Amino acid sequence: MSLDNFKTNIGEWLQGTGPDADLVISSRVRLARNLANSPFTSVSTEDQSKAVSERIETALQRLDGGLPLHVMELEKKDVVERQVLVERHLVSHDLATGSGSRLVAFDEAESFSVMGNEEDHLRLQVMKSGYQLEEAWSQMCPLERSLEEDLQFAFHSKYGYLTACPTNVGTGLRASVMLHLPAMVITGQIEEMTRAATKIHLAVRGLFGEGTEAQGDFFQMSNQRTLGLSEEQVLENIASVLPNIIVYERKLRDELLERRRERIEDRIGRAFGILSHARVITSKEALERLSLVRLGVAMGFLDDVSMNQINRMFLHSQPGHLQSLVGEPLTTEDRDRKRADLLRSILGDTSGEGFSSS
Amino acid sequence: MICEKCQKNEVSVHLTDIVNNTKREYHLCRDCAQSHGVSIQAQLQNFKNLTVPEFYASPQEKSETANSPEGLGDCPDCGMSYSNFRKEGKFGCSRDYDLFSGSLDDLFEKIHAADQHKGRSPARYHEQMVQSLEVERLRESLTHAVSDEDFEQAAAIRDQLRILESGS
Ligand SMILES: [Zn+2]
Ligand SMILES: [Zn+2]
Repeated sequence: MSLDNFKTNIGEWLQGTGPDADLVISSRVRLARNLANSPFTSVSTEDQSKAVSERIETALQRLDGGLPLHVMELEKKDVVERQVLVERHLVSHDLATGSGSRLVAFDEAESFSVMGNEEDHLRLQVMKSGYQLEEAWSQMCPLERSLEEDLQFAFHSKYGYLTACPTNVGTGLRASVMLHLPAMVITGQIEEMTRAATKIHLAVRGLFGEGTEAQGDFFQMSNQRTLGLSEEQVLENIASVLPNIIVYERKLRDELLERRRERIEDRIGRAFGILSHARVITSKEALERLSLVRLGVAMGFLDDVSMNQINRMFLHSQPGHLQSLVGEPLTTEDRDRKRADLLRSILGDTSGEGFSSS
Repeated sequence: MICEKCQKNEVSVHLTDIVNNTKREYHLCRDCAQSHGVSIQAQLQNFKNLTVPEFYASPQEKSETANSPEGLGDCPDCGMSYSNFRKEGKFGCSRDYDLFSGSLDDLFEKIHAADQHKGRSPARYHEQMVQSLEVERLRESLTHAVSDEDFEQAAAIRDQLRILESGS
């Protein structure tokens, strides 16, 4: 497969079909693993890294479970192609901008992916639409076991799976959910939620994980601890707060409708107007407007817009995807123009009449 | 003897864990020992190259040998020094975990509020577990053989142990 398919489609995890997908955009589990008897990536020689890549590739070809995987060597991809992979959450920023032998493998649905020679030799990831952490973990287990048969993973009787960074040691498991919580942001409740999550050692971050600021009311919540608790306990921890967050956000949305209906409808309507008619739009503004339109769809104001359309706009309006669509690198100004074109064309079917105020 | 963890099954493994100079003995059934997974490799390490008299060494002496402080020199495999590890915050290879283990418990306590893995383990690790149970069984027969002064039998068992251990 070439990256051409990326210009029109979105990964299964972004389809908006999963449980509670109006609030929980996606669920992700990630496992960090290293090959025993080979130094970690950061101190590996070129030859050692190549050997690791080759071993991973061979193991992936023999992987049980019958998933045909696309395998790509990152060092052979250009800047835009790598950016596209980052925006699709198939590759980390570090892997995209790193050097030496690095690879990514993923299935057609972009549900399962493997990064080779990231900070750890292997980063395995399963992503699903909506709140499906348990399901993501169930899908991960046999894949990891199958890889383990071929690749001996570094494991310590006391410390568990060994990783380059002490923050991942033990299970090597990072479980996360991507949340859309506009009502909590509007009503100023988000800090309270973040504090509560931190208390049970969950981290709340921006859209692209560590070190990123929350944009457009999108948040990523994940476990901080990987040592001293089982994989199941990690998932249970998140499961112990997430339903409350979902219920609370829904309740706040209802209250907003009751008390500030006109204000909210106005803001959503304006956001929709801008997205469907703007000629120039920055990625920051697009994300903020998309967040409001997303809320409008979830609240039933915008009958003719689907979650799928929202998610497509969300993904395809990012810099890498825009440049890949046009087929050449673009200046920031050109990108803002192309972004507006793209948003208008995706919303084109509704031509502005989709806004049904009730 | 009944397993101290599940209080149900018969004990089949006696594990010794040495953490911060404190020795802790576990008497576990096979199932609990597998899920416990403590220091099996360390146990195997301890059994390596042991001769008959050393099996008779008092637990105190044994724990001292097992606990001999390791220097914090550069890692012979990847060249990582302890100071560099603390500066960069990243390990260079698996071996660093053993090399720096003296100070890792504190670090992991800070990050994870724990210093002991409780999640799943590789399938091959279970095989090692089975092997360690076999070592345990042979060790007991060896003790009996020696106390019965059946040195021919003891030598045979010791050879078996050596084969097992060199294969690990
Ligand atoms: Zn038991
Ligand atoms: Zn090392």
